[in-house]
Amino acid sequence: MSSSIASSSSSSSSSSKKEKKISLKTSDGEVFEVEEPVAMQLEIVRSFFADNEDVTEQTVMPLPNVSTAAMHGILEYCRAHEEFRRRMPEAAPEEEVRAFEAGYVDRKSNEELKEMILAANYLNISKLLDFLTGVAAKRIENKSVEYVRAFFGVENDFTPEEEANLRREYEWAFEGVDED
Amino acid sequence: MAMDAGMLSLPEDCIAAVISFTTPRDICRLSSVSSLFKSAAESDVVWDRFLTPEYLSVISGCGSSSLSMWSSKKELYLRACHNPVLIDEGKLSFWLDKRSGKKCYMISTRACKIEWGDTTIYWNWISLPEARFPEVAKLIDVCLFDIEGKINTSLLSPRTTYVAYLVFKPTGEEYGFEDCPIDATVGFVGSEGRKQTIYLDTDRGLIPWDAWEQVDHVPWHAGLFNPGEPITPSVPEEEEEEEEEEDHVFYVPSVRGDGWLETELGKFFYQGHEDGELEIIVMENLRLHWKSGLIFQGIEIRPKRSR
Repeated sequence: MSSSIASSSSSSSSSSKKEKKISLKTSDGEVFEVEEPVAMQLEIVRSFFADNEDVTEQTVMPLPNVSTAAMHGILEYCRAHEEFRRRMPEAAPEEEVRAFEAGYVDRKSNEELKEMILAANYLNISKLLDFLTGVAAKRIENKSVEYVRAFFGVENDFTPEEEANLRREYEWAFEGVDED
Repeated sequence: MAMDAGMLSLPEDCIAAVISFTTPRDICRLSSVSSLFKSAAESDVVWDRFLTPEYLSVISGCGSSSLSMWSSKKELYLRACHNPVLIDEGKLSFWLDKRSGKKCYMISTRACKIEWGDTTIYWNWISLPEARFPEVAKLIDVCLFDIEGKINTSLLSPRTTYVAYLVFKPTGEEYGFEDCPIDATVGFVGSEGRKQTIYLDTDRGLIPWDAWEQVDHVPWHAGLFNPGEPITPSVPEEEEEEEEEEDHVFYVPSVRGDGWLETELGKFFYQGHEDGELEIIVMENLRLHWKSGLIFQGIEIRPKRSR
């Protein structure tokens, strides 16, 4: 149908078949068949296919650091952005993008958000990583040190003395912090 | 699917990416979270965002401090907060607000319009070691007291509620300011500014100033006042509320960390796309009695403490 225009503009990868799918395997063994332009938003996938001449359409790329749950979230985001790009190649419909992103992230728990940051970092999707880290920043702004330890699941590895020194050095940054 | 919290620890570059979207205050506080956070909170990547190109060009133009002298971007940032620099041919003093990273200025009195300012029987220009500017204005004697300062809004940080202050000190021989209400107006040129009543005498007591770290002081007042509300000029409902409040409010001096006094002149919200100038007017033109004995350093503009 109308995909001839789309495939000719994204013909940098080897195959000329339209509606090409790329197979990605998550850490828990699930294989995702992903439309090529969506998969190519994952920089790690793009460079894997660009750098390896012997990969074929049957090649399943393993992504050992990405869980199935995180992959669902990532693909939802990348598919939505591919859709925006396809509809308005010149400039993304800003309002719509913002509305989508707000709804998208509202449904994510702190745990899911962290998992997706980890995945977006590994897959090297800079746009998504910027977006997610910005969301996490909003969630920890003006929060106590204890809250942030719990948020990120981080152990306090300072000695009591080291921690007291740090708190003293930045005393001004501790006033008026939100209650946990 | 429940995840074991320990399983999902983010690497340092992700932590750095997250905290770089918070504020300098958050970043400094969060260095107490763990050694990983401390390391992220000291990385250049995090502080780059707060060292605006304007600031970097200002300090590299100052000659005395080349950028390579600073071991880290964080150190450079803290320097930008603690060591104001002179810009615009010495008319403006410029620094960054430590908590928010937003831009702060003091307009020197030399750059202000002062009624009778060039007539030596009314005003003198003197230099003081404790001043940021080479010259400050010493009031000899006037009836009409009028200081007006302007600053281009493009210099300000967007989406910020700023507060303007008059920075001054008594000579010890001051008179005429006791119980003398003075009008202070702050607003964008071409629109009607907000007016409030201020005092410059210290007789009604000083508000203590806790070495730059003081949360916005609560002004002396005879009625209810909520100091936490930012002024949003574009929203009419809020404006009405504010005006009602301001009938009951007046502002008195507080002592600054640098030994000077300051009195709040007014607040304004800068959205970021209003081109033009902000104007601050301090005037006593009703009683017109003789006033004398204060030294004025300038008009300071810094972000309102949001927390």
